Amino acid sequence: MKRLNWRGALGKMFVYLQIILMLFLILFPILWMVLSSFRYNVDITAYPPKLIAPVTGENYVNLVQTNNFGRIAVNSVIIVTGSTLLGMFLGVPAAYAAARFKKQNWAFLILLARMSPGILFLIPWYMVALAVQMTDNYITLILTHTVITMPVIVWLMISFFEELPPEMEESAMMDGCSRFQVLRLIAIPLAVPGIAVSAILSFIFSWNYFLFALVLAGFKTMPLTVAAFQFIGTSAVNWGGLMAAATVISVPPMILTMFLQRWLVRGLTAGAVKG
Amino acid sequence: MSGAKPRESWLSTTDRLAPLLMLAPATIFTLLMIGFPFVYAGYLSLHKLTLGSPTPPVFIGLDNFIKALDDPVFWTALRVNLFLYAVGLILELVLGTYIGILLGQQLRGVAIARVLAVFPAVIPSVAIGLVFVQMFDPAQGLFNFALRAFGQRPLAWLAAPNTVLQSILLVEVWQWTPFIALIVMGAMQTLPTEPYEAAVIDGASGFQILRYLTLPMLRPAIVVAAMLRTVDLMRIFDSVYIMTQGGPINSSMTLNVYAFTQGFLFSQFGYASAIMLVLLGLTVIASASLGALRRRSGV
Repeated sequence: MKRLNWRGALGKMFVYLQIILMLFLILFPILWMVLSSFRYNVDITAYPPKLIAPVTGENYVNLVQTNNFGRIAVNSVIIVTGSTLLGMFLGVPAAYAAARFKKQNWAFLILLARMSPGILFLIPWYMVALAVQMTDNYITLILTHTVITMPVIVWLMISFFEELPPEMEESAMMDGCSRFQVLRLIAIPLAVPGIAVSAILSFIFSWNYFLFALVLAGFKTMPLTVAAFQFIGTSAVNWGGLMAAATVISVPPMILTMFLQRWLVRGLTAGAVKG
Repeated sequence: MSGAKPRESWLSTTDRLAPLLMLAPATIFTLLMIGFPFVYAGYLSLHKLTLGSPTPPVFIGLDNFIKALDDPVFWTALRVNLFLYAVGLILELVLGTYIGILLGQQLRGVAIARVLAVFPAVIPSVAIGLVFVQMFDPAQGLFNFALRAFGQRPLAWLAAPNTVLQSILLVEVWQWTPFIALIVMGAMQTLPTEPYEAAVIDGASGFQILRYLTLPMLRPAIVVAAMLRTVDLMRIFDSVYIMTQGGPINSSMTLNVYAFTQGFLFSQFGYASAIMLVLLGLTVIASASLGALRRRSGV
């Protein structure tokens, strides 16, 4: 028995060793990004690479001062908040109906957005937006990003609503509540944790989405991801500035993910698991 | 409505319409934002039009699709697409399952590792692209420093046709393997413990347990992950567009990037729509074959 324990301890150490090695490979580029963002360009491109180098905040200062990043960050927040709220407004009642009246087949319809290549929709959207002069417009960007957020919200909320016991809703209805009152007064308050999870995930999805804004946003409405990408061309040698931009767009999703770990699988695979 | 009549007896007649009203906004939104563009893209694919010119679209039948058959870049893009899909999917599934099993175990401290390990999948692909462009830099990049340190010749990475696809694949696998690991981790939490106890009593080795217990029980989750990745790998855009925009000399061109270029750089919206419909068809075929596999294996 003693020998077995010894083997067990050794096995455990081997598992930890693999985990550490794997984490190093996964996290190294992210660490490199954050580290570089606090360094001078001469140190980032030094040969051999420097492990220890002077720290500076100048990349971030430049980002805000010369590239209007504050304004661009506000654009991101407007688009992401707008598409999350609109996704909620459209998606939560639909998810409730799908959960309570067994209309999941209906919900597959909106998963089509997930199946199709975005450029297929983007071409018609772009032509319509040009025709009605709504390129570089927050409303256009919010609407298109809602195509990303709403399916996530619907599928997550279906599973949250399905877990709520129907008894309270039934008794409320016997007391004369309408279906909509039941949704508003009972189901939604009970599903607040689910709503929070959906909101955070939809925030991350919308925040990260690149393609639609690349075409539809202009100077006025450009979000952070597109601005960071445009930045490559204009300052190809300014690695410190690029890494600062990359860090700025990466930190919010990383922080939110930490709150959400348990729910992440459900959110990311929403819809596919049940199919 | 007639077929889906609610069974609940306490449902009043006025509430009969409630589910329809609740579904209506999302349905209308989907029809406007996806249904209409889908049909319109189909219409465009059968037309030739020049944006901004006063001439209306000209109906040309299947000419856009026939044009693709004669277009060498289309075939290059198709090959690149299928290469990235097949190799990417296999690598991501193998590595993702391995990491998922590793992190799915009940061990002290592993919860933190689980959170950290999914970071690549949740940060914007623009950030990832920027970091890897820097690390792939032929003169100053970290990767070439590492190669030199091991006495190897430096590579051009993204800058040469013969290494660009492997470099993109490296980024893609790095970014999305954690996503598969996440799904496998989730499935690991739900596995029953009894078969493991029985196996240990029967004296099964660790490898046998993995081979005959864990992997078969994880198969449904792995198939789901494969389906999700199929859809995303087939329409791969972000990493390619951000790092190479299809270059050098079209060597990393995918159908998605090609359609983007044709549409938004050259205003060939009919041709771009046709390319996208071909890609959608390929994606449907790939997903359907995985779906058939899923049903056949009874998961």
